[in-house]
This record gives sequence, C-alpha cells and structure tokens, in this order.
Amino acid sequence: MHVLIINGSPRVKQFSNTDKILTKFTEGLSENGTTYEQFEISDKKQWEDIRRAYYANDNILIALPLYVECIPGLLMEFLETLSPKNDGTKIAYILQSGFAEGIQLRCGEAYLKILTKNLGCEYAGTLVKGDNFSIRFFEGNMRDKVTGPYTEMGREYAAKAGFESDKCRAFTGYEIFPAHMRLMLRIVFRTIGRVMFTRISRGWGCTKPLDHRPYQ
Amino acid sequence: MILIVNTTSDTTVTKEIRERAALIGFEPEVIEASGLHISHCIGCNYCWLKTPGVCSVKDDYEIILKKIIHADQLWVVSDTALGFLDHKGKNIFDRILPIATMYLKFGGDQMRHVPRYDKRTDIGIIYRGEPDKEYLQRWSERAALNFESRSLGVYGTDKLKEAVSCMC
Repeated sequence: MHVLIINGSPRVKQFSNTDKILTKFTEGLSENGTTYEQFEISDKKQWEDIRRAYYANDNILIALPLYVECIPGLLMEFLETLSPKNDGTKIAYILQSGFAEGIQLRCGEAYLKILTKNLGCEYAGTLVKGDNFSIRFFEGNMRDKVTGPYTEMGREYAAKAGFESDKCRAFTGYEIFPAHMRLMLRIVFRTIGRVMFTRISRGWGCTKPLDHRPYQ
Repeated sequence: MILIVNTTSDTTVTKEIRERAALIGFEPEVIEASGLHISHCIGCNYCWLKTPGVCSVKDDYEIILKKIIHADQLWVVSDTALGFLDHKGKNIFDRILPIATMYLKFGGDQMRHVPRYDKRTDIGIIYRGEPDKEYLQRWSERAALNFESRSLGVYGTDKLKEAVSCMC
C-alpha cells in the first residue's frame, strides 16, 4: 500500500505538533513495506504537488489540528481547490488537539465525514486524540512519551487501511475526565499550570502577564 | 453593539440587514471584510505566550478584533464550501484566539481557556450557498462554548428577517 499523507497544520513544519505525531506514526506505518509521501499545507509552494498527489492516490491520510471545533482555515482554503474524485479513494484522518478530552474533538470529527462525502471519497475513520499542546515544548524522552503511542497506530493503519478498529477508538482515552480528575486538574491549572505557562512565555521573551488586555 | 462581518463580496446582504435593522430601530456596525486583507491563523501561539492578546499576523483582522471585545453579538456573513463555512468565514473565527488567554479552567465538565476580557459575545452565522445546515448549527453551538457565550443560530441569506429579529 502507498499512502499520501497531508499535514493539514497551518503551523510551519519545524514547530508543527502534527508533524511530530506523523514522525512517530510513519515509523509504525512503514515497518511492513507500506510506503508514503508527505506534504505540508503550511507551505503554499507545495500545493500544486499536493493537488497532483490527491488525484493520483487512492489512500489518503490527512493529519490536522483542531481549530475552533473544526478544520483550520488554511486547510479549508486548500481543500476548496479540489474536485470530487468519485473513484473509491479512501480518506482517513488524524485529528489532534490541545484540549485533552475526546469530547472536544467530536464536532471536528463529524465534519470530516461530511468533508469526505463532499470530496467524493470514502471515509476510512478518524484517529481522535487530544492533550498534544505540549509537544512543541518538549524534546527527547518527554516528547516521545506524548508522540510515541502513535507508532502503534501507524501499524494499525497499515494493517487495516483506516482507523475504524476498536483499538483506534480506544486510543482517544477519556471522553470526559471523571470528577476526581477534574478536581485535581482544576488545582493544577490554578497553580503549577500558570507557573509553567508563564515560564514558557518568559523564555519566549514575553514581558507582559499572560492575562494582559492590550485593547482595553 | 451588534457587529456584522461580511466576508462575502455580496453587499446586498448587509444592505438588507441594515434596512431591516433600521425598521426595528437599531444600527448594526458593519465591516465589509472582502476588501480587507485577512490571513489565516498560523497557530504560532504568540497571542497566548509571547505577546498576550496581540496577534502576530499583522493585517486588517486587528480592526475586527478590537471591535469584537466590545460587541454583544458577532454575526459572520460567509460563503460556504464543502458543506461548511468557506475559508474566509472560518478564518474570522480562527483568528479570534487572542480574546482567550493561555490559562485553563473547567467550564462544566470540559476544559476551556480563561477569557481575556469581561465581555461575552454571542455568535450568529449568515451563509450563502448550501452548507450542511444541521452540522453548521452544531458547530456554532460548540464554537460559542469557547467564548462562554451562546449561538444565535445559522441563517441562509433568504432568512435575513429571522436573523435580524435575533439581533435585538
């Protein structure tokens, strides 16, 4: 099997969490001979090549971050330039987000089914997982802890040509956090979380408080 | 204040909205965005972590952002594509991120970002074309959760009377 992989993130490849996920995913995908080519939506110079590959391939995987409950505007801008295929092409998706719970991604997931139909293709499932915001801030083992589990999902995709197995569904983790975890997280958000985000911002050269109101 | 952002090139829609609003006795603030330069969100996170509240993409969106934080309602007039808002309409929502902070909390049983400003802005959609209306309604309700506000609904351009009746 050969797979066209489109990284639908508007963020440049170097800082793209979706790209880091794909790095681990494709390790598993290619273990048993499945080949792939990968393109980046963030680089408009690649758009003509992506269009050509879209028409030439019958197994397509679009990986994307959730942007305001649906697909990013830049990915939509690209997809608007495509014509429906109506030739049995399968599209599967990796949908990832910062928010950690599965429920946060369900509205976006629902659109991917509508999108597939509008492109005249067959829906091959969506791998849904949140809690990925930190990837760009981590390196080495810390990053691998977040992205590493995607390798197994790469194997699963290679075996099933999609994400519709129970194993893929279970990959999402918590749909909603149980009450005791929410209580713990509330405390973390108000304390360690704020300190951590402020520390990152200082590292980026930020001199203002993170709740600064520039327009008031 | 009722803010209308028209991302389509069709100004007859906003003209009709103004006329219908005048009949009821209010004047919405209208931004014709098709002539403005509004890029997509590049996901840099600068508005949360480097320049809090300020977008790193320097274009005409700042005009809209400065008004949203004072608006009771934001209505986006958008063309549709592939069953949803087209990219111009979606970009208006993607670029709204600076009104949230990096800080997290729980809203009910789900994570949310802590809002940056006190104002809560309800959102409504007026669309041209043929989206999956049921989905668009679901999406607008989910999107509103992120702004701690509510969806005012989604209306085709043939239902402007109904849309305007929700504006007051």
